Formats: sequence, C-alpha cells, structure tokens
Amino acid sequence: MQYLFYLFAAISVLSALLVVGARNPVNSVISLIVCFLSIAGHYILLNAQFLAMVHIIVYTGAIMVLFLFVIMLLNLNKSTEPSKTLLTRIAAVTAGALFLFTLLGALRQGVHIAAAKEFDGNTGLVKSVGQSLFSDFLLPFEVSSVLFLSAMIGAVMLGRKDRSPREDAPARPEPSERRTKKIPA
Amino acid sequence: MSALILTSVLGVLLLYLGLFGQKKLLVPVGVLGLLAAIGLFVMDRSINVPMFAHMVSFDRAGWLFSCGMLVVTVLIFLFGADYYARQEENVAEQYALMIFSLTGALLLTSYTNLLMLFLGIEILSIPLYIMAGGKRDSMRSSEASFKYFLLGSFASAFLLMGIALIYGVAASFDLGVVKEVALRQLVQPDILFTLGCFFVAIGLSFKVAAAPFHFWSPDVYEGSPTLITAFMSTVVKMAAFIGLYRFVGITQMPPTLGKALLVMTIFTLMIGNIVALRQSHFKRLMAYSSIAHSGFLLMAVLSQAPNTAQVLFYYTFTYSLATVGLFILMTLAKRAANGDEHIRIFRGLFRAKPWLGVVMLLLMLSLAGIPLTAGFVAKYQIFLLAIGADLIKTTVFAVLMALVGIYYYAVVIREAFTPSEEAPALVVSPVNLLLISVCGISVVLFGLLPGYLQ
Repeated sequence: MQYLFYLFAAISVLSALLVVGARNPVNSVISLIVCFLSIAGHYILLNAQFLAMVHIIVYTGAIMVLFLFVIMLLNLNKSTEPSKTLLTRIAAVTAGALFLFTLLGALRQGVHIAAAKEFDGNTGLVKSVGQSLFSDFLLPFEVSSVLFLSAMIGAVMLGRKDRSPREDAPARPEPSERRTKKIPA
Repeated sequence: MSALILTSVLGVLLLYLGLFGQKKLLVPVGVLGLLAAIGLFVMDRSINVPMFAHMVSFDRAGWLFSCGMLVVTVLIFLFGADYYARQEENVAEQYALMIFSLTGALLLTSYTNLLMLFLGIEILSIPLYIMAGGKRDSMRSSEASFKYFLLGSFASAFLLMGIALIYGVAASFDLGVVKEVALRQLVQPDILFTLGCFFVAIGLSFKVAAAPFHFWSPDVYEGSPTLITAFMSTVVKMAAFIGLYRFVGITQMPPTLGKALLVMTIFTLMIGNIVALRQSHFKRLMAYSSIAHSGFLLMAVLSQAPNTAQVLFYYTFTYSLATVGLFILMTLAKRAANGDEHIRIFRGLFRAKPWLGVVMLLLMLSLAGIPLTAGFVAKYQIFLLAIGADLIKTTVFAVLMALVGIYYYAVVIREAFTPSEEAPALVVSPVNLLLISVCGISVVLFGLLPGYLQ
C-alpha cells in the first residue's frame, strides 16, 4: 500500500513538472492527463471510489479532451511560446524564489496539524456519497441546478452564431467552425 | 424559502416566454413574480428557523436584504422594458439570467453553511459573466465578460480553498460549528483557520470590489450593457456585503484578518476616491465611486456592532436607489448623444428637462453624502459605528475621503447645470420618468425619515 502511494506520488510530481516544462503544448496536455490519472490513484488508495471515477470522467475525459481540441484547432502544436522580457523574467524568478524560501522556512519550523476528524474509510464510497447528497446536502444539490442551467444558457447565448449576417449569406459554416460546436460534455 | 423556489421557477418561466416569442409579456410577468416573492417574504413568519438540515435560515438582516434586493430588481426590470425595447434577440435570456443571479443573491443573505456561501457566490456570478457579454456586436462587452470571468473564477478558487481549509479545522461546513471553532481560536490560534478565513475574505472582497481586488470593476462596468452595470453595482453589491458581513461575524475575525481588512478598507477608500477624480467617462466614474462606497461599507463590516446589519442595509439600499436612477438618466442622455458615455452628455440637462436635472442633482448629492439626503444619513451612521469600534483614525481618514469625493460628483452636477448651445434631445418614456422620480424622491424621503428602513 505504502509503495503504491510513493509510486503514485512520484508519477504525480514528475508529470506535473513535465506539464510546466514541456515546450510542446500537446506534450503538456498529455502529461497533465497522466498527472490526473495518478491523482485518481491516490483517491482510490483513500477508498474514495466515487471521487476517483468522477475525477477521471470529468477531468481526464471531458476537460482534457477539450484542451486538446482547442490546441489542435488553434494550431498551437508548434512551440509558439512568446519570449518574455528581461524584466518579467527577473520579477518571476524573484517572486518564485521568495515563495520557495517562505515555504522552506515554514517547513523548517514545522506546522503541526491535528486531524479534526478520524479517518472513516466508508466516507468515499458511492453509497455514502449518495446518501448524504440526498439527505443532509439536498438543498445544495438541488440549487446547483440553477447554476448549471444558467451556465447552459450562457453557452448557447454566447456561442450561437449571429442571425443577422446569416440572412444575407447562406449559412455555410467553415470547417473549423463546424468543429468548434462539438463540445464534449 | 418559498420565495427562493419562486425566483428559480420564475427564471425558467421567463425562458419559456422567450421561447414562444412573447417578448411583451416578459417585463409584466417578471415584475409580478418579483412582487409575489416580496409578498412571500413579508408574509413569511419563519425568521431564524433553520431549513434543509441547517443550510439556510433567514434572520432579520437577511430578510431586510432579501426584500431590498427584490425591490431593486423590480426597478431594474421596469427600466429594462424601455432598455430592451429595440433589441430582438436574447432578451428573455437576459431577464432569466438576472433572476437566476438574484436567486444566488438570496442564498447569500441566508446561508448558514459554507457550502451555501460558495454556491451562492457562484450562482450570483456565473449569470453575471454571461450578462456582461450581452452586447454581442461590441468588442468592449466581450472583453468585459472575459475579464470578469477569468478574474472571477480566480477569486472563486480562493474562496473554495479557504472553505476547504476551514473545513480541515472544523470538520464541518456548518456555521454553528465554525463559530465554536472560531471561539476556540481566540485562546489557541490555528494557522490553518486564520489562513482559511483570509482566503475566504479575499474571495468575497473581490466581489465587493475592494482594493487591491478592484481592478476588474472599471473595465467590466464600462463594457457591460448599462442595465447590467446597474444590476452589478446594486444587487450584487448588496448580496456580496451581506455575505461578507455574515462571514466576518461568524469567524469573530482573527486579529491578523482584522488588520488585513482594515488596511484594505483604507486602500479602498483612497483608490476609489482619488482615482475617480481623474475620470471623465461616466461609467468608469461610477465604478470608482462604487469602489469608494465599498470602502465605507467595509468600515461598517469591521465594526460588528449589533445594528451593523441595519446600517449596511440602509447604506446599500439607498446607494442602490441613487445608482439605478443615475444609470437610467445616463441611458437617456447617451441615446440623445448617439452612444457617447463621456460626462459631457449631461450638458444642458437642466435647461432641457428641469425636473430630470433636479432629480440628478438629488441623486448625486445623495451619493456624495450631503445632508438632507439618504447618503448623508448612511455615511453618518457608518462613522458612528466606526467610532464605536475604536477606529478613530480610519474614521478621520474616511471623512477626508468623503470630502474629496464630493468634488467628482460636483463635476457631473456642473455639467448638468451648464447650459449648452443645443439642448440635448431627450426622449423620456413614462415608465422611465416614473422610475427616475421614484428614485429621486425616495432618496430624499429616506434621508429625512431614516427610521422607515430599519
């Protein structure tokens, strides 16, 4: 069990570093997928099956595929990183180094955090998640439908093509536009 | 609670009306629904009753704020009748989104669980991001929407991180438990809890546009359709402030958080008032004025006296009345000036329409806080609260900043009373005239009789 944890932890850290370091955006996205998968492995080690599945479906499945689509549609698969000015580089290095020193200082002092609650292995099971969603957390669960409804309205409203120019010219969307409509849900 | 359900259903109903092309019915149905929601609130006797497994509970302050926000939304809906008269597309969606946003605002007045705080903020914001991009042919509107979306999601991430940290200490989202933990913190401070409170405060102060998290507001106010700007600077401000007030009250403010909020208050007062001096674009001016007002309101939040909620309500409600009135006036003047938004569009207003000029004077004086208007009473009460909470230096500074603020309001008033060669050809529909008059008169009335709002 413990070795599995170390394995997943090593994969997460390495792939996360690759996401930032890779020159090619497609490589970045692939490493991010690997990173997400290894994090899902952590969830399974903690007996949080529901979270692990949702994580894989939503992040790895939907969001990352969307990322890949965007990168391909915008033709970003060459390394087109804009070069940064010297000033931004200095500022970024300074800020990053300061943050690192703060973290190291905090770690040296040691922050002791007592667990507020005993670990309960049953919390993450699909059954218990479902039960609390429909009993204690019924209102948040229901009310989030308003949120999703408004997000959907927004996607339709802002993503729809204008009606006015279409009356003059017959509707013939260009290939790239036709592809944008395919948003994986 | 039934009002909450009513508003959600009302939004869906408006969408259906839009689907069947009943554009004429949108405003009447919307206004009737909102009035019914106000009625439900007035009839509702369930004050301080926890509902849905301690998720929401309307206390006296939440009740006041809910009614206030519903009233302001009614005003904005009526304004919309004229504003959207020439627009054909997406009108129903705009109204429905506004109602959904209002539902989130109602949750913010009544949350007793940190999850509801997060959901409230999200339901309030996501429709706003969309509405800000409502003018689809305008580059500025899209820019406003995109900026607001990116920065807003960033702030939401802070909020969520803070809630997670608080959960890590308290092992519960329930505000009752969090309050107990917060009391324990006074004896034995825990870094995680302080950090969590800090992150939540950052997320919320983004919504109220307090410095240094205010950078989005001038651009977003400028780019959004005026109706949405009016909604943003009134209902959203009220909701965010009651949310922040409740949160700060529950956590008892760890000393470090108190200090950070105090510094933010001072910066907000300074940036809002001083940068506004250099603005000549009316919407940007109103954005900075709104930042400045956030500074005064933050002072009240810091004081945490028993009557703070009433003062907050009085301040935000009268501020909202004045702001809605001014945005309606701006829309009228903007139409006469072919879409210009510079403050010179008001030139000659008094000569052309004396009554509108007088109302504009009243509204501006109220925002500036001149005696006999509601703005003065509101500021006065806030200063009293701040002095009661031993914030003497901050109060002196705030008074100074309020004096600075009078200048930029006076500049706009001067424009309105300067005669111009050609009087602006203002066309005022009866509904708008009624709305502007109601705003102007009520600002004076509530200034003379402040007791009616408490």
